[in-house]
Amino acid sequence: MFTTRVLRQAAQHAERTPSIKFLGKRTIPASVDHTPQPHPASPTHTLPKSFTEGSHTSFSSYRDHAQQFGPLRKTIAASQAGIGGLAGAQLGPVGAPTGFYFDRSELPERFHRAPLTLAEIEAVETGGAAAFA
Amino acid sequence: MLSQRLIGRAAARSAFRPSGLPTVIPAIRSTRTFASAAEDKDLVIIGGGVAGYVAAIKAGQEGMKVTCIEKRGTLGGTCLNVGCIPSKSLLNNSHLYHQILHDSKHRGIEVGDVKLNLAQLMKAKDTSVSGLTKGVEFLLKKNGVEYIKGAGTFQDEHTVKVQLNDGGETTVVGKNILIATGSEATPFPGLHIDEKRVVTSTGAIALTEVPKKMTVIGGGIIGLEMASVWSRLGSEVTVVEFLDQIGGPGMDLEIAKATQKILKKQGIIFKTGTKVLSGNTGGELVTLDVDAAKGGKQETLDADVVLVAIGRRPYTGGLGLENIGLELDERGRVIIDSEYRTKIPHIRCVGDVTFGPMLAHKAEEEAVAVVEYIKKGYGHVNYGCIPSVMYTSPEVAWVGQSEQDLKKAGIKYRIGTFPFSANSRAKTNLDTEGMVKILADPETDRLLGIHIIGPNAGEMIAEGTLALEYGASSEDVARTCHAHPTLSEAFKEAAMATHGKAIHF
Repeated sequence: MFTTRVLRQAAQHAERTPSIKFLGKRTIPASVDHTPQPHPASPTHTLPKSFTEGSHTSFSSYRDHAQQFGPLRKTIAASQAGIGGLAGAQLGPVGAPTGFYFDRSELPERFHRAPLTLAEIEAVETGGAAAFA
Repeated sequence: MLSQRLIGRAAARSAFRPSGLPTVIPAIRSTRTFASAAEDKDLVIIGGGVAGYVAAIKAGQEGMKVTCIEKRGTLGGTCLNVGCIPSKSLLNNSHLYHQILHDSKHRGIEVGDVKLNLAQLMKAKDTSVSGLTKGVEFLLKKNGVEYIKGAGTFQDEHTVKVQLNDGGETTVVGKNILIATGSEATPFPGLHIDEKRVVTSTGAIALTEVPKKMTVIGGGIIGLEMASVWSRLGSEVTVVEFLDQIGGPGMDLEIAKATQKILKKQGIIFKTGTKVLSGNTGGELVTLDVDAAKGGKQETLDADVVLVAIGRRPYTGGLGLENIGLELDERGRVIIDSEYRTKIPHIRCVGDVTFGPMLAHKAEEEAVAVVEYIKKGYGHVNYGCIPSVMYTSPEVAWVGQSEQDLKKAGIKYRIGTFPFSANSRAKTNLDTEGMVKILADPETDRLLGIHIIGPNAGEMIAEGTLALEYGASSEDVARTCHAHPTLSEAFKEAAMATHGKAIHF
């Protein structure tokens, strides 16, 4: 009787499956539900209504805050105007008035002259001979 | 040769520039802009504490354009500047001092005249702090994070105005904004905190002389750590705690009682179940009127320094949350959902300023998770598995549920304990106070909570946290080989005692 019990216990131990198992490399679940859920450490385990109701009352107000390349803020003050702050026509003509000049270096970088490489400089200086040296 | 040629070309170009050409008038540019004035950031972080700087580094690593705004002037927040780090420096060095004075002789080390140089002790603390804060600043730079020293205020849902510390202001526009403004010490009503005689933890780590008598209001982790420091340095310290147990929420009752007993033996006086009624700073000493909560008599305590350590509260001052309509809960915490979003989804919030325990490592976990939510749509923090450590001597550490938590929730449990007095390494160290206590499910043997009081408990709890995170059983821990002779064997033996029997006890 006692021997059987010992043997049975020994067999159980031999077959013991640890509860820690390797689950494989971690991956992000294919579908994640992003609807607002209460924070696990929240004492009330509830969310205020404002989380589930949209904070914008109209499409126009949503559009003002929506992100594309920066917010489309048509309602912001002209003094703080960024892109979209004022209509293009209100900003005046693109060309400089008479007697005023733009320096190319003051334009955004994409309008600057492409920088010359050393090889190009050499080529110009030597009348093209450097390209064949 | 080539450089000479280049210089020659530049000189020639300027020589041929028409001298009568009018200069460009900057006014033109203010009426007609060719690009937006400031580049939009992928993430703007308000607060450069543990939550903020970790989020900034993680976001930088993920390739995001990040700005981190911090008004303190140094990064790292409360933890690095006036919290965990400086207090650990003081705890470590005061422990050394105390050990040399009282413990070295019977170990066979006879030391001559031992003197305390408090200024040098503080300098050592400041060196640790400045080294770490500068290290964090370097890490931000390394990960391409823009660091602005100033106070951020919401102007609208995407724009943060920053009052720069050096004067002037700037604005930052962010596609995502993270609030990580942390917390501040809760003041005690009626006691004016001057950080000299009535101090918070900030003042308690910067006292210029050892107070003869010190009273600590609040027997939580901060209060007990500071009580230990000044008691070791020679103060007569009294801890007044409103609850019947010390250690604050989460500490297992049995462990809390053992801690109180050990700290009492070290010379700290405890008044638990005692309410502070009022304080008076008018005299030479600060006096506190206290009343035993359960019908005891009223008495007056006087002290050179009173430490107010009754907890911390979220810090949202000057953030301008009213400008964007963000709500706080009744305790001043920013309300968030499970993905750290406020009701304005692109404004998120982590750390002490929102839900959960106010712990630096919890904030750090959240900071990584929130960036992952922004970048990948998926993050992970297990709030059931956040360790707590009190760095007294001996240290106290726990993770998971306490016995009283389980009782309250009606969950059945099995207990396994192992005392350090039966651990070989603790014996060789002559440091045998404390024990390991493990709570596990009686059916499945899955670990539910781990509570340690003893040498190096703060390091040992990492093993328990890992086991709990992996959903291990006590047998899994018990069957894992632990090196001999180590303190960690006490952990293994406690696990053995949970599902069977310990060998050495």
